[in-house]
Amino acid sequence: MTLETLLYILMSGLVLGSLYAMMAVGLALVWTTLGIFNFAHGIFITLGAYLAWTVADGRGLGLGLAAGIAVAVAVLMGLGCLAEILLIRPFLKRGSLVLIAVITTLAGATFLENGTLLIWGGRSKQLPPLVEGDLKFLDVGISAHEAAIVGVVPVILALVWVFLQRTRLGAALRAVSQNQEAALLMGINVHLLYALSFAIAAALAGLAGVFLGGIKFMSPSMGTDPMVKALVVVIFGGIASLSGPIRAAYVIGLLEAVSVYTLGLYWTQAALFLVMIAVLMIRPTGLFGR
Amino acid sequence: MSALLEVRGLSAGYGRSRILNGLSLQVGTAERVGLFGPNGHGKTTLLRTISGLLKPWSGDIIFAGEPIGGLAPREIVARGLIHVPQGNQLFPDMSVGETLRLGAFSPAARLSATRNLNLVHDIFPKLLERDGQLVRTLSGGERQMVAVGVGLMGNPRLLMLDEPTLGLAPKIKGEVCEAIGRVSQRGVPLLVVEQDVEFLLDLIDRLVMINHGEVAFEAAAGEGLDHDEIMAMYFGPGTLA
Repeated sequence: MTLETLLYILMSGLVLGSLYAMMAVGLALVWTTLGIFNFAHGIFITLGAYLAWTVADGRGLGLGLAAGIAVAVAVLMGLGCLAEILLIRPFLKRGSLVLIAVITTLAGATFLENGTLLIWGGRSKQLPPLVEGDLKFLDVGISAHEAAIVGVVPVILALVWVFLQRTRLGAALRAVSQNQEAALLMGINVHLLYALSFAIAAALAGLAGVFLGGIKFMSPSMGTDPMVKALVVVIFGGIASLSGPIRAAYVIGLLEAVSVYTLGLYWTQAALFLVMIAVLMIRPTGLFGR
Repeated sequence: MSALLEVRGLSAGYGRSRILNGLSLQVGTAERVGLFGPNGHGKTTLLRTISGLLKPWSGDIIFAGEPIGGLAPREIVARGLIHVPQGNQLFPDMSVGETLRLGAFSPAARLSATRNLNLVHDIFPKLLERDGQLVRTLSGGERQMVAVGVGLMGNPRLLMLDEPTLGLAPKIKGEVCEAIGRVSQRGVPLLVVEQDVEFLLDLIDRLVMINHGEVAFEAAAGEGLDHDEIMAMYFGPGTLA
């Protein structure tokens, strides 16, 4: 294996890990706060990419990528709130919320995916890269877009961490996830925080979609595969925390990159699931779980 | 006596089972009231309904002259009616300091957060030592102190404590009792649920027994209630010859 291949594998692993981390943090945030899995998470990726495309691309409004990202993040925060209000809130009092949420979020995702197809059509689109061109690193050319993703994602995750650890609202969000009744009795608006956790998750997924749209062609179902991977990552990393899934995201990303190179794309999915099952047999609470 | 809290004909329960049967109760502006009675007869349900965790089925709850029945907990907390629930596990992965500061989440309490934090550290000096420690690692007694401290951080006009000494070892129980005594000395009106009537008598002005979701008996603490009378209240008159 040459240095060049090694760097390519490392880079592609880090890019995948970054994208999975962005998605997994959102899934885990919703899980720890509300105790449900949000299967509409994948469609937030798709919508992030398409909204950014409409604003940024010359065939849409042509306002450039920065405007596209801003609009995508803002609209997705709203959509996240809306998803919580429409798909989760009416059923909060039910004992079987976990199962109901599977059905309602899947239904919402189907609805939005077909809506995307209806609005934007099936023709493949692509977003411009965050940064044009290539970087030279140890005489090996790597895409500047991918380097930007690898650099920017940790900053975004750090911002989420600062929000959760250092702000009042973030502390309240953690409080709700640890003891809802005690949070209620402190005067915390639990419904507002449920919506907020959905909004943050949706915005992170939307950003992941924008990044992904600069690498691959976009399609209405582009979010499904990353969501499944993020699901694996969250379970693999231990669902009870946010740091577990982040670390697991990079582990899975790198494993996937190695596996794509050695086993090929065809066997990679199976190999990842095999690793996950093996880890969960030894550590049922996840690789980094308690 | 103008009432700080007035409960009139309150009925409430879980699902189809009715726990409170038209219960009426008053707490005066500077009064400390103790609730006792057999388990499962509505003491905890009463506090949960007053603090908005449960919706009343019928009847009125009036706090400081305003009806609060059916309001959301945060609206009730904002009025200074603070409920410290039974066996509160709080937030296992948060530090003591962070938890206390969250206790002043409501806008009204936020203004006096610093003063109240000093008050809490005054009453529970141990909590200042434990400020950076995770709640998960505290002993039962310390956790109960944090729970009462969180209640004080809410800037209470009335503090409702639900069995603050439940499950504590006798020595620790004594410490918590003393601390609650210090709380009440600061002039915070209290509504305390407790099984241990002896403990209540030191702390409160008036004793109320709840039985079958109703007030069965009331007595001023000063009226020299002795052990036999309390036993008679529990088991009915005449059981002790």
